[in-house]
Amino acid sequence: MAASISGYTFSSVCYHSANSNSDHEGFLLGEVRQEETVSISDTQISTAELIQVVEIHNHDPCAQLFSFYDYAGKINEESLNSILKDRRKNVIGWYRFRRNTQQQMSFREQIIHKQLTQLLGVPDLVFLLFSFISTANSSTHALEYVLFRPNRSRYNQRITLTIPNLGNTSQQEYKVSSVPNTSLNYTQVIKEHGAEFFDKDGVMKDIRTIFQVYSALQDKVQAVCGEVEQSERVREKIQEDVNKLKQQIALRKRKTAEEERKLRESENADSHPTSEENTDPSEASSQSRINFHTPPAPERPSTSPNPPSYADLLTQDDSLLSSSSPPTSAALLPRPQAVGSPGHPTPGPLGIGLGLGLGLGASSNPVTTPSSPYLGNGDGSSSDSLDRQAAGQEDDEEDDDDEEDEDSSEYENLLSEAPHLPLVSASVLAQGRPAALSPDGDARGSQTT
Amino acid sequence: MAVSAVHLESDAFLVCMNHALSTEKEEVMGLCIGEVEVTRIVHIYSVIILRRSDKRKDRVEISPEQLSAASTEAERLADITGRPMRVVGWYHSHPHITVWPSHVDVRTQAMYQMLDQCFVGLIFSCFIEDKNTKTGRVLYTCFQSVQAQKGSEYERVEIPIHVVPREAIGKVCLESAVELPRILCQEEQDTYRKIHSLAHLDPVTKIHNGSVFTKNLCSQMSAVSGPLLQWLEDRQEQNKQSIVELQREKERLLQELAALE
Repeated sequence: MAASISGYTFSSVCYHSANSNSDHEGFLLGEVRQEETVSISDTQISTAELIQVVEIHNHDPCAQLFSFYDYAGKINEESLNSILKDRRKNVIGWYRFRRNTQQQMSFREQIIHKQLTQLLGVPDLVFLLFSFISTANSSTHALEYVLFRPNRSRYNQRITLTIPNLGNTSQQEYKVSSVPNTSLNYTQVIKEHGAEFFDKDGVMKDIRTIFQVYSALQDKVQAVCGEVEQSERVREKIQEDVNKLKQQIALRKRKTAEEERKLRESENADSHPTSEENTDPSEASSQSRINFHTPPAPERPSTSPNPPSYADLLTQDDSLLSSSSPPTSAALLPRPQAVGSPGHPTPGPLGIGLGLGLGLGASSNPVTTPSSPYLGNGDGSSSDSLDRQAAGQEDDEEDDDDEEDEDSSEYENLLSEAPHLPLVSASVLAQGRPAALSPDGDARGSQTT
Repeated sequence: MAVSAVHLESDAFLVCMNHALSTEKEEVMGLCIGEVEVTRIVHIYSVIILRRSDKRKDRVEISPEQLSAASTEAERLADITGRPMRVVGWYHSHPHITVWPSHVDVRTQAMYQMLDQCFVGLIFSCFIEDKNTKTGRVLYTCFQSVQAQKGSEYERVEIPIHVVPREAIGKVCLESAVELPRILCQEEQDTYRKIHSLAHLDPVTKIHNGSVFTKNLCSQMSAVSGPLLQWLEDRQEQNKQSIVELQREKERLLQELAALE
């Protein structure tokens, strides 16, 4: 079985994922074809092999998590239909992007997958898992992707995903000289009959024709691009309006809450002079609740070199967090580092710029948090030799108090000790060949495309 | 260090990814346009796709003419966006190769830093697959160069890079993205023109060369222009839907606000 996705669709998923400060998911639209490959072997004249080719044409991103399923992973068919609408028949799979997690389907993903298979009636529904990991100093980031077909047998579950591209531009195929030939007959025949190909200027007719095709196509690309640009601006504007309205509503609610509190205070002050202390934490929590629910414009990293690390935030807002209600404080909890650790979401801070610097105010719904405890907990077992190796390294780092080590310790290890590391552990970043370990380019000589 | 971090707008990131994934057989490159903030953070708002004059392996260098053309483009972007923009860095791809810069890359980067100490380099590594786990990988890194002592070898310095979310794709990024097929075609035309000017080729060879041109252009159309057009159409469709949904939400919020007042 083979699968392909266009570079533009792939980049688009990366783009949507980078924009989301939580996990991101969506559906894969496309088609599955049967391709026949004929091979001739010594034993048979021809063996026709049927391979299934999964072509991913497009992706349909979900605006938020839990949009068609609940916390228990039960799918709401109505929501599913309202999201997919008439694209439902083109769905061949779905995808999920998560940060700092293992390359395995989580338990919830598995049960969702089973239900989707049934509801959509696609027996071989595929699941594309994107997992994102960064080095401790956020200078290098890796996006890993695996295409699963979970409905198949245990051992045959992963498919190679290719990204078709331009490949060889093969400008070397132009001939700069003709094969020498003194035969007059040859010269005469090719001149006479070859003239068909050329127009009166001596230019090959095909050149002009194909160039016209290209020009027309490029004009169309420009035209559609212009339309897309307009729609982007419209969308941006409405998004801004929506954000402003949400802020206004939040402000209103806060004012109302304050007014009510003042009213209560003045009433209570007559009977209970000490009750003021009690109202403070609740006010702080309602304040914090409102704050967290207000989605600001996409969070920009602050002007510090690295977006504020989680530890910084903890010390600043300790009082707020401790008094906040669980859902909102959970919104700030880092995602468990499932990489290497078989199921213990360590509540240590994350040093990941992407996770923290963007949308720290839990600008998207706090409901995303319940999903995090599941990640990496599902089976706990590591089917990957790479992960196992990483797990081994992770254990060594456990004692390290530095907040930035815990989640991407394997990467930090690799970077600091790159030239000395054994082959396997370095292969996460490099290509797994000895020469690739050295960051300074010895790799170049040995790598062949 | 002169630069403390790099902030890359997500739509510029999108264009870089598109470009890097466009071919696995050679390295692509481009320039980053943006501004350096007082906090020594380099903020990249857009990228310009460049033609590679020297297509030899690992010779990813920018000619002075290209730098000059890019500066002009940066000025144009400054007019459109209303903020001061200039060329602040370069990016290139490492298909099938580790993401770390080679010795040549580090030296090239050092050279650019001599003109501008805040110049940064980005590398996108793609088309990497671990055959055992069938895991594909795309990596990106940011670096500058430093010389430990005068006369010693240049070394890589890691610079933190963060992708800044941007929900809508900017005009300049869209324009950069659709430049790719045009640049590819121009490269092909230039090569063909040189070949075509050779006078001593017999008709069969000329037909052969013409066919190579046709074949290459067809390749470009099916591998780049076609998918690009498809993505643009899909994006337009997505935007239409989002606009409808956002409009609905806006009305709902207006009602909610009115009810509160």
